[in-house]
Amino acid sequence: MQLTGLLGLAPSLPVFGRNGPPSDDARPSDYRLEIAPVTLDLSPSHHVRTVAYNGQAPGPLLRFKEGRPVTIEVANRSDRPEVVHWHGLFIPPDVDGALEEGTPPIAANASARYTFAPRPSGFRWYHTHTMAMNDLTRAQYGGQHGFLMIEPRDDPARYDGEFFVALHDWDGHLLASDDGAMNPGYTVATINGKVMGHGEPLRVKAGQTILLHVLNSSPTEVHWVALAGHRLQVIALDGNAVPSPQTVNMIRLAPAERACVLVEMNNPGVWVLGEVRKHVQALGMAIALEYENRSGNPVWTQPPELVWNYAQFARAQASGSHADDANAANPPGADASAESPIVVPLVFESKFRGHGAMERWTINGASYPDARVAPLIRGRRYRLQFVNRSIDDHPVHLHRHSFELRSLGVPLSGARNVAGAPGATPADIHGIIKDVVLVDANTRTDVEFTADNPGASLFHCHQQNHMDLGFMLLLDYA
Amino acid sequence: MPDWVMSERSRGAWGARFVRFVRFAGLAGLAGFARFAAFCLLTAAPWVTHAQANYEIQVYGAETVPPGTLMAELHSNFTLDGQKYQIDGVYPTNHQEHETVELTEGLNDWSEIGFYIFTSEQDGHGVQWVGDHIRPRVRVPDSWGWPVGVSVSTEIGFQRAAYSTDTWTWEIRPIIDKSIGRWYFAVNPALERTLHGPDVNQGLGFAPSAKISYDFTRVVSGGIEWYADYGAIGNIASVHNQQQQVFVVTDLNVSPSWEINFGVGIGATGSTDHLIVKAILGRRFDWGHHSPVD
Repeated sequence: MQLTGLLGLAPSLPVFGRNGPPSDDARPSDYRLEIAPVTLDLSPSHHVRTVAYNGQAPGPLLRFKEGRPVTIEVANRSDRPEVVHWHGLFIPPDVDGALEEGTPPIAANASARYTFAPRPSGFRWYHTHTMAMNDLTRAQYGGQHGFLMIEPRDDPARYDGEFFVALHDWDGHLLASDDGAMNPGYTVATINGKVMGHGEPLRVKAGQTILLHVLNSSPTEVHWVALAGHRLQVIALDGNAVPSPQTVNMIRLAPAERACVLVEMNNPGVWVLGEVRKHVQALGMAIALEYENRSGNPVWTQPPELVWNYAQFARAQASGSHADDANAANPPGADASAESPIVVPLVFESKFRGHGAMERWTINGASYPDARVAPLIRGRRYRLQFVNRSIDDHPVHLHRHSFELRSLGVPLSGARNVAGAPGATPADIHGIIKDVVLVDANTRTDVEFTADNPGASLFHCHQQNHMDLGFMLLLDYA
Repeated sequence: MPDWVMSERSRGAWGARFVRFVRFAGLAGLAGFARFAAFCLLTAAPWVTHAQANYEIQVYGAETVPPGTLMAELHSNFTLDGQKYQIDGVYPTNHQEHETVELTEGLNDWSEIGFYIFTSEQDGHGVQWVGDHIRPRVRVPDSWGWPVGVSVSTEIGFQRAAYSTDTWTWEIRPIIDKSIGRWYFAVNPALERTLHGPDVNQGLGFAPSAKISYDFTRVVSGGIEWYADYGAIGNIASVHNQQQQVFVVTDLNVSPSWEINFGVGIGATGSTDHLIVKAILGRRFDWGHHSPVD
């Protein structure tokens, strides 16, 4: 649909679904996003021609009230069909923002409105859900990502200020890599769209407690982040409160993962919040944190090693029932405790296509759209066994649901039991609710979720090049 | 490359090196392969030269050795059917066994420096030191985003007169390569000059080489390498006096740390050794402790 005056034509715009109370097609939009080409100045010497939301990357911070219907009008001023995925929300497939689930695309130079009742509360994000293939300027390689905060009816967190921080990699090009295939490499890395030294610092006061919402919007890269001179108390992962908040020196975020961390401002100065790995920080992925009345060059303290473990945030002891976990991971009303979970092995493998090409990916031996599993039964608890038989790590994401981590990093030799043979029994963990988990190479990770949000739900690796090349699976309900 | 050293370089470690490395062949089946081989033999045909000897037979890929890394390679070449007579005091190449040690150290993300120790073993002459070369190389950094790999090496060195009438030689070698799916292409249009020896007044010589290979699997690649020496630019040698040689090669990409290449080469002109077998075995060593935070 051609639009010349968005607001004037609003009543005739297509409306992508609703959730919750019925809404009128003529309902005015609450928010407006414009997808359009833009040149971003990452630094005085780094300019990227890309496509972004409202002319900025990250896009505008959207704050929705949990459960309160909202309408977002999206104008696509780019030259290609687009779709906006509301990552981490339990909303219907026609509005979730995945073409594979049935969300209609927004044609080039057309507009549409998304209407839904956002839930659950927490730190989510929105981004394009299109394909890039070999064009490393499109889709998630570009600037189409933004913060989405679903505000709870009652926020128990105590903090004096909050900052939203997005990690992103730019200017991708294909390079030979140690897996024997081509993979994207980057020449610029930013925080909130700026190379270190070219963005506004995070300004704080001594004695404050700040809440950092950190998003890894990188198309393919895992990132490690630390704040020099300070420690980070992780209180939520992927927007969901963790049962055991821990104070750590750094966080690790795979593509699409988020972390919410509290930081005590107890060490006045000017510090660097940045990527821990030197070669990535050197590409620009850092930002200054500046105490009031302090000045000077930001100080960085180099950690000697990379440390991260999801399990440290799990419930101390497996005391809760599955029902507890299910209710935490899914909307109220699920009755998941009655039966044992249905086990669904998902085996990830690559197909070599030449040293000069990216690999093709399969789930249970088939690439999207040929990959299949049995339809989900509404209300049943499922245990997905992610068996990563490749030498790459995979940040896998399940749309429209959250899952609970149950076991992590079981060596693959012990994971052969997915084919029926006995194997190592993974240590159970409980209580960590996420929508993305990084499955290490040659290991198995198990998650559980309750199938209580009927409709097509896409499961995929959040590495853009992997999902482009087959690493997707559509789960549907019986 | 100096006419006495058929060079071809590619750094073989899996990742960044592997891909641009010596891969070859496949060519849509044996029929296609045979047609391509015949094409190479016919079009690249003629060549020659005296004092032709093969110490390093390799087509260079554009990648360089990463900083803090040493690539140690052993080039083993045996001339099954070569020059049988001593000419101008140069030993015949027939049944010469050449062992060349090559050590290449990465300097930074876009440069390296290599050293060569050439040796020869032959009945009646025993094991002999032949000479040494030094070869710095720079490449276009990945960040430039060029659609092909490009680097330039320059090589200078000495070889004993018993193995080459030209004892000091210099070479500059542009290197262009590209991987497309399972195919790999590399071209080295090298220029060389004699600094000391009978050919010192001949100016620049043109000694191109090229490679095309195909990845049959992640591990096994196969292809063709072509080496030529047309003599001085502006005074191209007659077909008989050119060197033209085609190798059928395979590369085994068993690990990022190893480089393995085998080949059999046929010379097509009177001045080319007629049959050579070659092998390259390389191992990458990382110096010191590489922290994950680096």
